[in-house]
Amino acid sequence: MTTAVAESPALRRRTRINVSALLVEGRAFLALIITVLIFSALTPKFLTGDNLIIMSRHVAFNATIAIGLLMVILNGGIDLSVGSTVGLSGVVAGYLLQGANIPFTDATAYPAVWVVVILSLVVGALIGVINGLVITYLKVAPFIATLGMLYVARGLALVITNGTTFNDLRGEPELGNTGFVRVLASRPLGIPMPIWVMVAVAVVFSVLLTRMPFGRWLYASGGNARAAELSGVPIGRVQILVYVFSGVCAAAVGLLLAADLPAATPRGGEFYELNAIAAVVMGGAALSGGRGTVRGTLIGAFLIGFLVDGLVLIGVSTFWQQVVKGAVIILAVAVDQIQEAVQRRTAGTKAARAAADRTPTISS
Amino acid sequence: MRRLIRIATAAAAIAVVGSSTPAWATTPPDDSTPAPAAEGDAGTIAVITVDPSNPYWKAEVDTAVRVAAELGYGTTVNAHGNDPDLQNQFIDAAISQGVDAIILDPAGAEESVGAVQKATDAGIPVFLVNAEISEQGIALSQIISNNAQGAALGAEAWVEAMGGEGTYVELFGNPTDNNAQVRSDAYHSVIDQYPDLELLQTETANWDRAEGKQKMELLLSAHPDVDGVISGNDEMALGAIQALREAGRLEDVVVLGFDGNQDAVDAVIAGDMIATVLQPIVQGTTLAVQQADNYLRTGETGADAEKQAIDCVLITAENAPLLDNFVMAEEGSGTTTASAPEPSTANTGS
Repeated sequence: MTTAVAESPALRRRTRINVSALLVEGRAFLALIITVLIFSALTPKFLTGDNLIIMSRHVAFNATIAIGLLMVILNGGIDLSVGSTVGLSGVVAGYLLQGANIPFTDATAYPAVWVVVILSLVVGALIGVINGLVITYLKVAPFIATLGMLYVARGLALVITNGTTFNDLRGEPELGNTGFVRVLASRPLGIPMPIWVMVAVAVVFSVLLTRMPFGRWLYASGGNARAAELSGVPIGRVQILVYVFSGVCAAAVGLLLAADLPAATPRGGEFYELNAIAAVVMGGAALSGGRGTVRGTLIGAFLIGFLVDGLVLIGVSTFWQQVVKGAVIILAVAVDQIQEAVQRRTAGTKAARAAADRTPTISS
Repeated sequence: MRRLIRIATAAAAIAVVGSSTPAWATTPPDDSTPAPAAEGDAGTIAVITVDPSNPYWKAEVDTAVRVAAELGYGTTVNAHGNDPDLQNQFIDAAISQGVDAIILDPAGAEESVGAVQKATDAGIPVFLVNAEISEQGIALSQIISNNAQGAALGAEAWVEAMGGEGTYVELFGNPTDNNAQVRSDAYHSVIDQYPDLELLQTETANWDRAEGKQKMELLLSAHPDVDGVISGNDEMALGAIQALREAGRLEDVVVLGFDGNQDAVDAVIAGDMIATVLQPIVQGTTLAVQQADNYLRTGETGADAEKQAIDCVLITAENAPLLDNFVMAEEGSGTTTASAPEPSTANTGS
């Protein structure tokens, strides 16, 4: 009798928590639907096939970076260098396509396009490795380490280009290095390449997070690194890998952006890190680590992208666009904080109740 | 034949790579710094610029060095990269070297006042090019390009290409940059006189090519029938051109740029951009050196006022082929040497 009475409010509380958790998890999705509905009502140009493809392509750049960044944020870290990595990878591709000087010789190499693509991605991976090593072994805070890398990578992009822009990425048929723009800016089945890449990256990382040991390691290490380490998670390796993932995703966007323009500018990707962080956070991830999904990040990226593009479409002044975008980001983070507070409180009461149950003599 | 092209391309590429080594602290070989007086008995001029890796400032440095040499001066060249502290150090160095005059492209209007004052106090006349400082009466000359006049020129050419009617959108530069507003105002001072030209929307693209393209794609979604684009600089215009090309609208939309950078000049030649506006950096720098020479010889700069705005030059399909990285082949006292050894011709094979 007493146990039944004691259990039913607990049960009710659990279902209520689940509903509220669902609401909070789904808040970005709800906001996305509302955004689409509002803009569709305001202008018939919003919900057309062509425009949806254009907006999705804009979103794809940010979403691909954001998914890589999600890995870092799940780990409890942050990667501020992704925007600079976008610029550097594009510039490296541009440099290689123009002909790369082989060190200590006068010879010039013209690598094939697939080599260019791989080398540019390797540059992104290398930046990630350095970030990871500095954070894991030199114990530099992720914010500081990647802030430094933000400047290093941007500086290297400027060094390589001498401050100018590589304008011709088409290659020469005589040199066998054509196809960069043709392939990376192509539209298989009418869908632009960046969208395909976003989908592929999303699938790969969802599988990684939900079906592989690495995913469990990552959530565990982000939730409580000490506990994860004691239960055998290789937290050092996980920490380095997440920065590599983030770097490679950013490098891929650098290539796509260069092919899209088509030009490789050392300024490419400036401030992209901020949009990516916004997308991850709006998608329900906690900056403290351990919580977040690829699905949520995608929704966050679409929400922020559709919002920004929609404001342009209905002709809101540029200055107000920024105000609205910023307000929505703050709102998202505020809701995130409320959710954490709610979780802490329920966890606290639960723990207190459990303690009280175990030691009835003290409480009475 | 193919092999020949290949070798030539390779050679060109190596030339680019070779020139990219940061050996800029030293002056070009024709006036070696240790014995500048040997170059010309007239004295030494310190040239302090922003960033010679950018073709625009490279043209500035090349012009200053060339004109100074013609007038019998030796030169030292330094670049502050818009860093006021570095600028201060170079001013100190110039003072301790006892140069006769300083040609300075200042690092910021407010930040540079102190540096200019310091050199003036040390008895070294300072002549400013390209940008101004916020106070007058310290430097002897402040020679800047007339953005308003240039934008009006560009707008006139654009209106003519539009036939005086139609709809258009505007890509605006970084709103915190004074030049963005100056150019936009000057565009509209011309365009607004034509009631049949209708501005549909203005969007900021922050001087950036990628942002220019994204904004133009959305503007095309919102206004599929737009007839023209005016842009605060060439980079945003080049982004818009790419968006128009992908949408299949490049043929019938008239695009205007500003700056005269080489990519834009190539676009003008290709017919993608109707016109751009060249900032007269070669002419301005030539004047600055000439006024320094006048002042050192006669005690007068020879100019009517300290602040002098040099008119910009309209670049259309007619004169675009004459332009090579900010240097007009006809311009600059007949000698075309400054434009000849430009190594970055490898990019122009579009």
